[in-house]
Amino acid sequence: MVTREDIENIALLSKLFVDEKDLDSLTEEMQKIVAFADTINNVEVSTGEFDNINNLSNVFRADEVGESLPVEEILKNAPEQAEDHFLVRKRA
Amino acid sequence: MKYELVAGFETHVELQTNTKIFCSCTTKFGGDPNTHCCPVCIGLPGTLPKLNERVVEYAIMAGLATNCEIAEIAKMDRKNYCYPDLPKAYQISQYDKPLCEHGYIQLSNGRRIRILRIHIEEDAGKLIHNHGDTYVDYNRGGVPLIEIVTEPDFRSIDEAKEYVEKLQQIMRYIGVSDCRMQEGSMRCDVNISVRPEGSDKLGTRTEIKNMNSITNIAKAMEYEFERQTELIESGGEVVQETLRYDDATGTTSSMRSKEDAHDYRYFREPDLVTIAVPRDRVKEIQARLPELPEQKFARYTEEYGIPEKDAAQLTKYRSISEYFDKASEGLKSPKTASNFIIGQIFRRLVTEADKESFDIKTTAEQLNELCKLLESGKLKNNLAKTALDKMLDSGKPVTDFVSESDMAGLDDATLTEYCQNAIAAMPAAVADYKSGKEKALMAVLGNVMKQSRGRADAASVTAKLKELIG
Ligand SMILES: [Zn+2]
Repeated sequence: MVTREDIENIALLSKLFVDEKDLDSLTEEMQKIVAFADTINNVEVSTGEFDNINNLSNVFRADEVGESLPVEEILKNAPEQAEDHFLVRKRA
Repeated sequence: MKYELVAGFETHVELQTNTKIFCSCTTKFGGDPNTHCCPVCIGLPGTLPKLNERVVEYAIMAGLATNCEIAEIAKMDRKNYCYPDLPKAYQISQYDKPLCEHGYIQLSNGRRIRILRIHIEEDAGKLIHNHGDTYVDYNRGGVPLIEIVTEPDFRSIDEAKEYVEKLQQIMRYIGVSDCRMQEGSMRCDVNISVRPEGSDKLGTRTEIKNMNSITNIAKAMEYEFERQTELIESGGEVVQETLRYDDATGTTSSMRSKEDAHDYRYFREPDLVTIAVPRDRVKEIQARLPELPEQKFARYTEEYGIPEKDAAQLTKYRSISEYFDKASEGLKSPKTASNFIIGQIFRRLVTEADKESFDIKTTAEQLNELCKLLESGKLKNNLAKTALDKMLDSGKPVTDFVSESDMAGLDDATLTEYCQNAIAAMPAAVADYKSGKEKALMAVLGNVMKQSRGRADAASVTAKLKELIG
């Protein structure tokens, strides 16, 4: 059962602002999503642990150094930057 | 009432791989800000992490060296929290299927500190706070870490200190980390609670975060123990919270936590597949593991008869113990090499860093040669000492400083000559000896040794003197 408090808490953790008036409808929607996950949970699976569809394991990379990007590229999408750093402004 | 300290450790150790855990950026310390970064480690959408094989191997090595069981199946999970040091807003870590579990570290007082788990994860970026603004450098973001979590098994600060030192020593021996606390490649969080002595219930604990020296760990634990004890004594209650230790004031203070709730909403990392560790892989890694400090210590003390204090010094750093192992190869008494190392060689290595790097001019093979000459009786002790000093100054072998005649010993004619000289020079001592004072002969012997510059063998000199004096 999803409650209004759950939605408020998830919003807080995700740093999302949720309008008071949207809380009820969001609670209802989230309840439906969780119910759908329950449907999947209830499917009978016959053999042991299901892992991934290709039954893959141990996909590794060798420990060899490759190219990093120039700092200008790295900072290209930063909302703000200063002295080659990402800049996070003090919150008002 | 007497109170008892109860503590547990969570230690982050940076692994010495070439590249980060999920991308091929370098892990080199330092570097200009944001120059060791790529789309993967700054968390750009659409990128995929790919696990560095060596991270898994190093974590298994760390697990084996701390007596852990290695999981057959492990997986990665997302630990969600919003903070600027984490560009994806989640850290890829391990939740319920860590690589290693149920190990321990043995302390010298006979107690064992149980290790609950060792898991692999990515490090976060570095934040520089400046007038309320935050500057973010992601060079460290994605550097591989292992987190070593103990049970709350510590009962004293001395145990905590020994544990951290042992952990450092083991990780350095197996070569997975340099464990430099001042550079942040090893960081400790400590959980502390107190309880009346004799109680088996755990009190409410606080957690002191991110300590970067053994001294600070000890001071912070001391302070927190006192604080909690006084609080309880005065009728108060300990509040579960995360603390920061302030070195300048020597006090702990409450940290504003990263999240208002400790709700990391862990879930399976869908971008990474399962890690399977076949048993033969574990065996293969185990076989490659070097001899651990504890095993070396046992060999030195039990097999070689080296005093514990000396053995502790020899095993403190892998560099020293490896040097000693080579220098003592084939010796009748390995103590010969150990005495030279702890005496004459250590005198030249003043700081701990000097000892750790063990950068000396004389090779282990050269010291071995010197020890063998000494053991065979070809070289007398005082000559060997003088030679070693010259060897350490120059890096040249012992044969450069000791002549053939030094090593040849004395022929009978020369020995007789020296003895006659001594008898002539010391009539009083000779007379004393003749009148029954056995000890008087020592003075005459000393005179012969001096003439021979240490090359003569005391036993044959004594025999010759007795023969001549009659
Ligand atoms: Zn990268």
